Amino acid sequence: MRRIWAALTTTALTAAALTGCGLGSGDSKNSDSVASAAATGEVKGKVSIQTWALKPKFTDYMQGVIDGFKKKYPGVEVDWLDQPGEGYSDKVLSQAAAGGLPDVVNLPPDFAFPLAKKDLLLDVAKADPKLADEYVAGGVEAYRYTGQNGTFGYPWYLNTDVNYWNSELLTNNGLDPKKLPASLDDLIAQARVMKEKSGGQTYLMSRKPGLGDLYNAGVKIMSDDGKSFTFNTPEAAALLDKYRDAFKEGLLPKDVLTNTYVGNSKLFNAGTAAWTTGGGNFITSLATDNPTLAPKMTSSPTMGVPPLYVQGLSIPKTTKNPAAAVALARWVTSPENQAAFSHLTSVFPSTKASANDPFFSKSDGSNSGDAKVVAFDSLAKAKLIQPVQVDDAMSTIINQQIALAISGDASSKQALDSAVEQCNKLLKG
Amino acid sequence: MTSSRSETSQPSTTTKPARDSQASRGSRGFNTPSPAQTAARYLLLLLVLLLVVGPFLWQLSTSLKGPDEDVYTRTPSFLPEQLTFGNYGKVADTIPVWTYALNSLIVAAVCITGNVVGCTLAGYALARLRFRGAKLVLGLFLATLVLPGEVTIVSQYVLVRSLGLADSLAGVALPGAIAMLNVLLMRTAFAAVPLELDQAALVDGATVWQRLWHIGLPNVRGMLSVIVIFTFIGAWDDFLWPLIVLNDPQKYTLTVGLQYLNGTFSANPRLIAAGTMIAFLPIVVVFGVCQRFFFKGVEEGAVKG
Repeated sequence: MRRIWAALTTTALTAAALTGCGLGSGDSKNSDSVASAAATGEVKGKVSIQTWALKPKFTDYMQGVIDGFKKKYPGVEVDWLDQPGEGYSDKVLSQAAAGGLPDVVNLPPDFAFPLAKKDLLLDVAKADPKLADEYVAGGVEAYRYTGQNGTFGYPWYLNTDVNYWNSELLTNNGLDPKKLPASLDDLIAQARVMKEKSGGQTYLMSRKPGLGDLYNAGVKIMSDDGKSFTFNTPEAAALLDKYRDAFKEGLLPKDVLTNTYVGNSKLFNAGTAAWTTGGGNFITSLATDNPTLAPKMTSSPTMGVPPLYVQGLSIPKTTKNPAAAVALARWVTSPENQAAFSHLTSVFPSTKASANDPFFSKSDGSNSGDAKVVAFDSLAKAKLIQPVQVDDAMSTIINQQIALAISGDASSKQALDSAVEQCNKLLKG
Repeated sequence: MTSSRSETSQPSTTTKPARDSQASRGSRGFNTPSPAQTAARYLLLLLVLLLVVGPFLWQLSTSLKGPDEDVYTRTPSFLPEQLTFGNYGKVADTIPVWTYALNSLIVAAVCITGNVVGCTLAGYALARLRFRGAKLVLGLFLATLVLPGEVTIVSQYVLVRSLGLADSLAGVALPGAIAMLNVLLMRTAFAAVPLELDQAALVDGATVWQRLWHIGLPNVRGMLSVIVIFTFIGAWDDFLWPLIVLNDPQKYTLTVGLQYLNGTFSANPRLIAAGTMIAFLPIVVVFGVCQRFFFKGVEEGAVKG
């Protein structure tokens, strides 16, 4: 799958570059005029919007939003496409290569990045100067890329990670769900207790460290110009050493290092691990999978800086109806519509006006309500931790090298140096 | 791999009882296994069967589990405690599963027709007819096999789009309607038919079409059924290409449409499993219908001495 992706990216981008060249002269001149047309043009005619995996659960919601838009701007026609979850990046890249992107496209920042790099996306800040005032800084920041001038999407809904604990496993193994670990050292100490009490049957730690953990240990992941990786520092090596010792001691499941690792949430679901991380809606979705586990769960803020997950709406430069596209993107991401969306599921709005909504800051007393409040509080501190430059191939390299370091087959320093070197090579390529 | 390795290691472990029983009966032939050996063979077969069928059974049992049952547990339980077929009904409520299945069926039918007709003609031409550039054509066919499909998928999409077939089932089916590999398979199958048969027909004054119909085709039925099965599975299971070509959800094929069950914030493993089962059934049917032709072609119409 990864190879498919790599091949696809290269071809798609080459194709996009080629078509870009073909239209080149007209396009670069257009850049500003599209933005000004968007700002001044009349909102009418046909406009298409593409969302990602919202059907069928949110069909009614989206339809309502679109109907509202049509009521507000009579004479406008909206064509809504919803793409299935799987293969979305492939779909978007092939649409871009063929010049067939819809007028408004739901793209997370890392999907929008390759398109912005090829100059395919509209700088929405130019079309809409109030953007930075109305949306939260973290969301807007996510669509600004080092080396690219502009903001390439309206932030839409946000999410972050929360720690989830299986309180039954904790109590059964001599731990107190009221004194949850708040740092890595705490976590390792409690994991030791759990290992001894359970005889190695259940684990507290259930994943190997990633870039997020390095970031939280104070490691700078990337240089400021976004041209090279810098995470091979002594602090990073020290963190990996800690994990290596914990692994040797048997505090982590053996298969966290191999390809058979199914992910910490799966281990958590099966009751093998007592800790996992997940979005604000994790308890609700788990209640469908394992109804007996959900009531035993309790949540706490993540250790360190919580990661920020952003979804946004981008507008391709090639849009034939820039005025309606910008108006539609604004409408979908408006405080009212976002608030309505967040009430349906545990995501959070990206507009500043929504921050005072008591719905997010008050729990209804259930454990999923508590988790929502924890997630909402975390969101204020959340940052985009993984740089958008890190693609699938780089993630694989980083994972492999970290696994080598933790298994003890390479020293932490060697592994990090090698990961940085290989990733830099890919970054230039 | 598992099965071949276990077969080779198997005789050594059971040598002793085998010799004993042979000595006591005496009448056993060289290749007749003793009861112990038979038991061991069946045991190994059963083991491999479990390995292969296990994940499938788990999906089946998940699709029958009620909403109050845990799906992921440390020791997977295969027997649903609250047996229900409601998940299948819910799949049909959530997505237009029959429309999707029909779309898949149309695509598969076009692909099978294209492959059976096209590959037969092309394969026969390459194996039996002499024309200028035959070697070159064969070389070109082989050359296209070298490129993995993923590399050409975007240019293929651009092509289909400029033909005006984007967002249509024809656009999905067309690139798969003649597979190069199948042309080569058919060429090999036709080449394996004894040349004397053809020559005899030629003496009797048969035209090329008659020779293809009466001599060639009856001898390659086995290969044709292989191609039908593989093409069907390929067209039915293809995900990436239909996803890229199609935009209108009403035109989605089943594999793409089933992805809607796995939406953001709303994935129910029971429904996904039920959808998988629905997608799987037609493959069983096609295989069941075709497999009796598998070994037929070879014996039929051989040269009589």
